[in-house]
Amino acid sequence: MWRRTVVVVFVCLGAGQVLSNAQEFKLFDRTVQVHGFVSQGFVYTNDNNWLTMDTSQGSAAFTDFGLNVSAPVTDKLRVGAQVYDRNLGQLGQYHPSLDWAVVDYRFKSWFGVRGGKVKTTLGLYTDTQDEDFLRVFALLPQSVYPTDLREATIAHLGGDIYGRLSLKRHLGEFLYTAYAGHRSDSIYSGYPYYFSSFGAHITSYGGLQYGADLRWNTPLKGLLIGASRMNEDITGKGSAINAFNPGAGLVPYSEASKADWINQFYGEYTVGRLRIDSEYRRYWRNQELFSGTSESFADVRGWYVSGAYRICKRLQIGSYYSRYTVTNVVAGALSAFYPPATDTSLPADHDYDKVITGRVDLNKFWNVKIEGHFMNGYGSGPYPNGFYTQVNPQGFKTDTNALVVRTSVYF
Amino acid sequence: MRFASADALAGDIKVIANSSVKADVITAVELKRVFLEQNNSLGDGTHVEPVLEKDGPVHEAFLQEFLGRTDDDLQTYYRALVFTGRGSMPKELDSDAEVVAYVAKTRGALGYVSTATSVEGVKILAIVPAGNAAHRTLITRVEPEYPETLKYLNIGGTVRLQVTISAKGNVEKVEVLGGNPILAESAISAVKQWVYTAGHSRITVEESILFGSHP
Repeated sequence: MWRRTVVVVFVCLGAGQVLSNAQEFKLFDRTVQVHGFVSQGFVYTNDNNWLTMDTSQGSAAFTDFGLNVSAPVTDKLRVGAQVYDRNLGQLGQYHPSLDWAVVDYRFKSWFGVRGGKVKTTLGLYTDTQDEDFLRVFALLPQSVYPTDLREATIAHLGGDIYGRLSLKRHLGEFLYTAYAGHRSDSIYSGYPYYFSSFGAHITSYGGLQYGADLRWNTPLKGLLIGASRMNEDITGKGSAINAFNPGAGLVPYSEASKADWINQFYGEYTVGRLRIDSEYRRYWRNQELFSGTSESFADVRGWYVSGAYRICKRLQIGSYYSRYTVTNVVAGALSAFYPPATDTSLPADHDYDKVITGRVDLNKFWNVKIEGHFMNGYGSGPYPNGFYTQVNPQGFKTDTNALVVRTSVYF
Repeated sequence: MRFASADALAGDIKVIANSSVKADVITAVELKRVFLEQNNSLGDGTHVEPVLEKDGPVHEAFLQEFLGRTDDDLQTYYRALVFTGRGSMPKELDSDAEVVAYVAKTRGALGYVSTATSVEGVKILAIVPAGNAAHRTLITRVEPEYPETLKYLNIGGTVRLQVTISAKGNVEKVEVLGGNPILAESAISAVKQWVYTAGHSRITVEESILFGSHP
């Protein structure tokens, strides 16, 4: 794995340098652009293994890359697609996926439509969460943007309508997006991996997603506020150990949404070299398990406040505080095995993370980040959040300090 | 947007466009939206695409005054569009001369260069601080006909008109506020053909037209 990672990084570093000045060509008199990125990380933790990596020994199993092509077909119509691949500890495992593939027709600035596999607009960073080079931090606040669960919200196969509405009397402008489509998780993503800790094997996971985002560029220069809503109807299928008779082998497993939604509220303020963000997300998840014989109620809440400051052209620093809590209650047949987890003061039901970061831009296409995380709690309860029992068989410690080093090349 | 600064910068930067662009003026708001890929057409429907310089003082000044961003911020903004399938990286060129050459040959291209640059083959767009409803700039002015009889008799003066301008910039209605009725008739006929810069909504302004040399 190390060797593969090193090869990927050096190939892409070289490609980045070469392609940075040659990223477009003509096809049928249209300009086709090619862009890509590769990101390599290294994570060391003093205690618990994090993000499915063997981080307590130091792990570089943290590679992302993407490559896209896009072109305008007419003045109003553009098409494009991106392939994305990653290896994050036990996740991804270098299985490439179609990240997005979009046909976009903008009738007017106030109304456009796009269809295909579309990046989902949810809060400030859902659609750009893979591209760490767009911000100061090596890892986004995991309370709102858990990188191990990126596939839960990253894109949908369906369509969006979107637009920009200017308000009278200098009241700024509204940007709106409404979408509907199908979410389909890879079996190499976080949730199926989490479920394997219970002896379950998820073979398919996905379903309908629909929602909307409304953001307001306020009259106060640099201030944006917004809200997003997502509803889901998700079904997961596979096989699992029979909890009542573990020796009987695997039995068919299914789970289905009864109520599944996210509300997210956010604000962003930029003044001079300073940028301040804050977001709050609540994820409510009520599922039927094993064809309705049991039911679970999970309430996941996260928020963060972050600040980033550009000291000079090549150097930025940043910090955030991120707070995550989760509660869960299981009803029905399985309730005997899963007692209610509702005390968010317990480390199993929260993760509070203080972060400091520095970013150095070596040139226009290459940066390096160094980031420190100081976490309390491991939030490994009924819904995953970075800490998994499979890679922590000895059990969890309450506190985890992590050093993250990440470098990205992009063109 | 700091209109006063933008006005001051008009002396340092020229906004140039391909001859396919019909407009002769562009508002600061339109300029910003075009360069942030929020709009790819102007109010008159003309398709436009932004062209940037890679660096340099003109580039920095343009970004600061008209886009309110540094080059680093702008690159990040464009990359967010590119990597989510919502836009493309605009053309970036090394010098004023390259920008002029590219704009001259590319339909809808819109760029900026220093005032000292020769701009043969392209048109220069005046930058106006529109978006401010109280400020509309007259783009097309048709001069009123001075009736021969009154001119011969040296009867002149000022006609004051109240002009209602649509959001698109066309004159919707003209009412006489004062002046010689015959001259006013001629003034109304001319003013109805005037075209102003577009704005967010319909507004009413006062216009005064002088016939002869004495008010």
